[in-house]
Amino acid sequence: MKQRLFCILGLLLIVMPLGLMVACTKGESTTPAPQVQSTPSVPQVLRANLDGEPATIDPNRASWSRERTVIMQVFQGLLGFNQDLTLKPVVAREIPSVSNGGISADGKTYTFKLRPEVTWSDGKKVTANDFEYSIKRLLSPDLAAQYASFYFDIAGGKDYFGSAKKDDAARTQLRSTVAVKAVDASTLQITLAQPRPTFLQIMALWPAYPLREDIISKFGDKWTEPPNYIGNGPFMLTEWVHQDHLVLKANPNYWGTKPRLSEFQLKMITDANAELAAYKNNELDMSRVPPGTEKAVMADPVISKEILRFPELTTFAFQFNVTRPPFDNVKLRQALATAIDRVAFVDKVRNGVGKPALSWVPPGMPGYDPNLGKEYEFNVAKAKQLLTEAGYPDSSKLPELKFQYSDTAGNRLIAQFLQGQLKDNLGVNLTLEPMESKAFTQFVNQEKHTWAWFGWGADYPDPDNWLPELFGTKAGNNHTVYSNPKFDALAKQAKSELDNAKRLQMWAEAQKMVMADTPIATMFYRERFILVKPTVKGIKTTGMDGQVTGDLFLTEINLTK
Amino acid sequence: MAIAIEATRPHHSLWGDAIIRLKRNRFAVAGAIIIFLITMLAFLVSVFSPYRFDQQDLNAILQGPSKAHPFGTDDLGRDVLTRLLYGARTSLAVGIFAQFIVLIIGIPIGAFSASASSRVDNFIMRFVDVIYAFPDILFIILIRSILGGSIYMMFLAIGLVAWVNVARLIRGQVLFQKQRDFVIAARAMGASERYITIKHLIPNSLGPVIVAVTFNIPRAIFAEAALSYIGIGIKPPTPSWGTMIRDGYDVIFAAPYLVLFPAVAIGMLMLSFTFLGDGLRDALDPRLRR
Amino acid sequence: MLWLIPVLFVVAFITFSLMHLVPGGPWDQEKQLAPQVVENLNRKYNLDKPFIVQFGNFLWNAVRGDLGVSYSYQDKGVTQILLSGLPKTAGLGVTAFLIAIIIGIPLGIAAALKQNSTVDYISVFFSTLFANIPGFVIGILFIILFSVTLHVLPTGGWGSIKQVIMPAVALAALPAAYIARVTRASMLEVKHQDYIRTAQAKGLASRVIIIRHMLRNALIPVMTIAGPELAALVTGSFIIESLFSIPGIGRLFVQGVFARDYGLIMGTILFYAFAVALVNLIVDILYAVVDPRIRYE
Repeated sequence: MKQRLFCILGLLLIVMPLGLMVACTKGESTTPAPQVQSTPSVPQVLRANLDGEPATIDPNRASWSRERTVIMQVFQGLLGFNQDLTLKPVVAREIPSVSNGGISADGKTYTFKLRPEVTWSDGKKVTANDFEYSIKRLLSPDLAAQYASFYFDIAGGKDYFGSAKKDDAARTQLRSTVAVKAVDASTLQITLAQPRPTFLQIMALWPAYPLREDIISKFGDKWTEPPNYIGNGPFMLTEWVHQDHLVLKANPNYWGTKPRLSEFQLKMITDANAELAAYKNNELDMSRVPPGTEKAVMADPVISKEILRFPELTTFAFQFNVTRPPFDNVKLRQALATAIDRVAFVDKVRNGVGKPALSWVPPGMPGYDPNLGKEYEFNVAKAKQLLTEAGYPDSSKLPELKFQYSDTAGNRLIAQFLQGQLKDNLGVNLTLEPMESKAFTQFVNQEKHTWAWFGWGADYPDPDNWLPELFGTKAGNNHTVYSNPKFDALAKQAKSELDNAKRLQMWAEAQKMVMADTPIATMFYRERFILVKPTVKGIKTTGMDGQVTGDLFLTEINLTK
Repeated sequence: MAIAIEATRPHHSLWGDAIIRLKRNRFAVAGAIIIFLITMLAFLVSVFSPYRFDQQDLNAILQGPSKAHPFGTDDLGRDVLTRLLYGARTSLAVGIFAQFIVLIIGIPIGAFSASASSRVDNFIMRFVDVIYAFPDILFIILIRSILGGSIYMMFLAIGLVAWVNVARLIRGQVLFQKQRDFVIAARAMGASERYITIKHLIPNSLGPVIVAVTFNIPRAIFAEAALSYIGIGIKPPTPSWGTMIRDGYDVIFAAPYLVLFPAVAIGMLMLSFTFLGDGLRDALDPRLRR
Repeated sequence: MLWLIPVLFVVAFITFSLMHLVPGGPWDQEKQLAPQVVENLNRKYNLDKPFIVQFGNFLWNAVRGDLGVSYSYQDKGVTQILLSGLPKTAGLGVTAFLIAIIIGIPLGIAAALKQNSTVDYISVFFSTLFANIPGFVIGILFIILFSVTLHVLPTGGWGSIKQVIMPAVALAALPAAYIARVTRASMLEVKHQDYIRTAQAKGLASRVIIIRHMLRNALIPVMTIAGPELAALVTGSFIIESLFSIPGIGRLFVQGVFARDYGLIMGTILFYAFAVALVNLIVDILYAVVDPRIRYE
């Protein structure tokens, strides 16, 4: 009897809190009501979606596009990008150049003069010290920032970053040798170890945004939570309900042209279908379209008018591992490249979204060559001929060809398409090896793959970011194990060539070498295809937009009826 | 009077009697027939389908049902009906073989635990708790990275993490049955524990287990679909109903029939297994003897 | 209750080992990071220490309530992340469980009592219908129907009753069907027992028979499966939480595994193990309450 009583009591004790939890969560609504202004005009609230919770919005540490979307509204750097992806001065008064003295004759020293009127959202002035602090923090070994390596050209940077094992005294010493100096409150001087013509573009990226030393020292890791997250940009982060949504409001103290929006709300819907449903239910003003449904969207009488599409600076290609037979045979690689009907893939399978790619550097990027790679246009006869030249007149005698990819919906489609193409056009059987995402990444990074699918998006709009990193001998992202001393020599020269025309010419030559040797077989350039409500006006897109379209120029967007 | 009638009835074993009664249950029979039909169609599809399951027709992508393609085409122009029938093979295999593993491991462990001493029982159940709290996904990723995306990997992975429920179910049932009079009587008559467990406890505990199995089969198929959803499913182009639902889900706004057909197929198969399972359960129940 | 500790220890050890055995680590990305960056990252999160030391550190911190930090969520403490997400997932899970029980058990009982009647077939039909559509399909169909077409419910999020309905029902569908079937099966077994016949012969009212005799015994197998169902519901469904954007813990484990977020993986697995063990304990206690013949030492 007693035992039963005890048990029942125990049960009640457990059920009650659970019941309370259910009841308590009903109170909070996580969908913020849009701010209605006093005038009877349309509320200037833009509702968009991030595909998940940002891992960090600390500019030094961030690396993903959804993080960038938030950071770029709250912070601004010395330089920024125009819509055509040329540089523009933002916090800096003008772009440093040799003629205005901003760049030294040897190309190694950069001097930035800051605009005096730039302020943080709490009123304090932005000074060169804020930039010095930020860049040195970016390079500090303890922070372990992922984009730090982009800034290794700065003299002393690499050594400081590698000083984790040293004691405090040595570290402080190394930090002071990092050649970033606030000469005075409005002048920042940076010296490089060797000339790097694309350094200005790298300075326009978010890891070099200014930061407030006093705030970060005071709050530590909590500095990225509102209201501590103080920036110098057009918006402020006012609310962050983790894994649910973010709210950014216009910065009333913004030193530049104020944004036309009063509020920017970001939800965190991960599922593409749920996002589209939210758009259709008027919970979002902008939305992705699940790949494969574009044709249906284009055929729908209502939402077909709400489509926005533009090319991105992203190329997808197949990368061979040129050390693994039979892919060590260049003729075989060329045969395979010629046997794929890219046009059919883009037009029929992808409903015309995207553009077939015959060369690596995408259109919109300086260095794009529309005439390059024509020899790889789809041609079955030629492919068969190449196969014979490769030593396999009878395709059934080919050793087993294996294709690895990360098992996502889009990749599955490509893989199966490829398999079908090889079978139908060459009579070759392809074995598909889908792998779990991280396992695949590690596999490729360790060059254990034979033939894999990959994509590359621009960090900054220059072939400097597209060629040496991927095709230089033993370069960090070179997983084709491609090694061409001529390419290396050319790349080395081009990296520090100060004459821009000459430099681009060198990169063009380098790209030709790569395409001839075929360590990769390009497939298509990506195109963004989204839906935008007709009330949203003023969107300016670029090939380097972050997760939310138009996020490089969010200040220009406004809403009408 | 009743005793006399009882004595003149022909003797049947538990299982023999079960089959006779099963045959009388029309729904169970219908279920069995449907299962048989689907299985047959699945095996004979290559005979009467003009398409291969991996045959792509880039000019016929995402088309609705038509004369050429009675169930429509998918995002690479492949015939859905053909893939559905090939997929039946895969899904049936995953569902059934995973269950074998589940039963082979789960029943002995559950029965043993229940008929053993309370200490041993407790220990085994704690061990079962550990397995239950097991990080299935991690384990499945590991298995997949070793065995690749083959169908055997699927059975093994699903079976190895799913046997626990059956073990618990059997244990609960056996614990209950243990107290029953006929068991006490058998023991008094000198039957060994092993004999009692095998001949009495297990068959009498099978009722809920059969129901569990008929639910676990669709669950296994969904597990396979869910694993596909997160990227560790059976590798293409082998179709399975789970992966077809998963792939169709991506384009549900454009082509809802891609999800509809495999879902209905699973539904019919499951309905059949359910009727069959219920029939089996009723047939094995000695109290329903007529 | 003491057995909980070795169980948690074993689970922690197995998970920790699996985590490090599985190919791919948190810093493996398509755009490969510079080796110096990887080195510093490993150092920052103590991943460069030997396995035993890492595991030891984890255990030492865990007993003091610190489950580590998450790489995916601003280096926040895992304990904090779990605590903020738990009420949502548990709330959803309990709601779904209650729905499943409220629908499943009565349906199962009715079906058993009127075996082979209309009610029986409806319950079979209903339970099979819902049992054969995977959660994410039911979910998206609901969203398409109620949000996109009828505009009566929001597509997701958490906080209002309108937002709980769809995910709770989608989650409850399969367990409800399962519970209905098991209830029916075990009620049928019990219905034919001798002691029931005795009670009927004694002249007891049907209702009394059903409640006092049949239900008690029939519910045992139901409890066996209800326990794990509740545990599964409380630990959350990755698919439903992703689809309806519910900021709970159901997504955490799977996301953590795919990102190799070691802190998150270890923290959530310990939590799961604890929750499961707790629920099983409750079920075992319920056995003792319901069936006086079962006794534990």
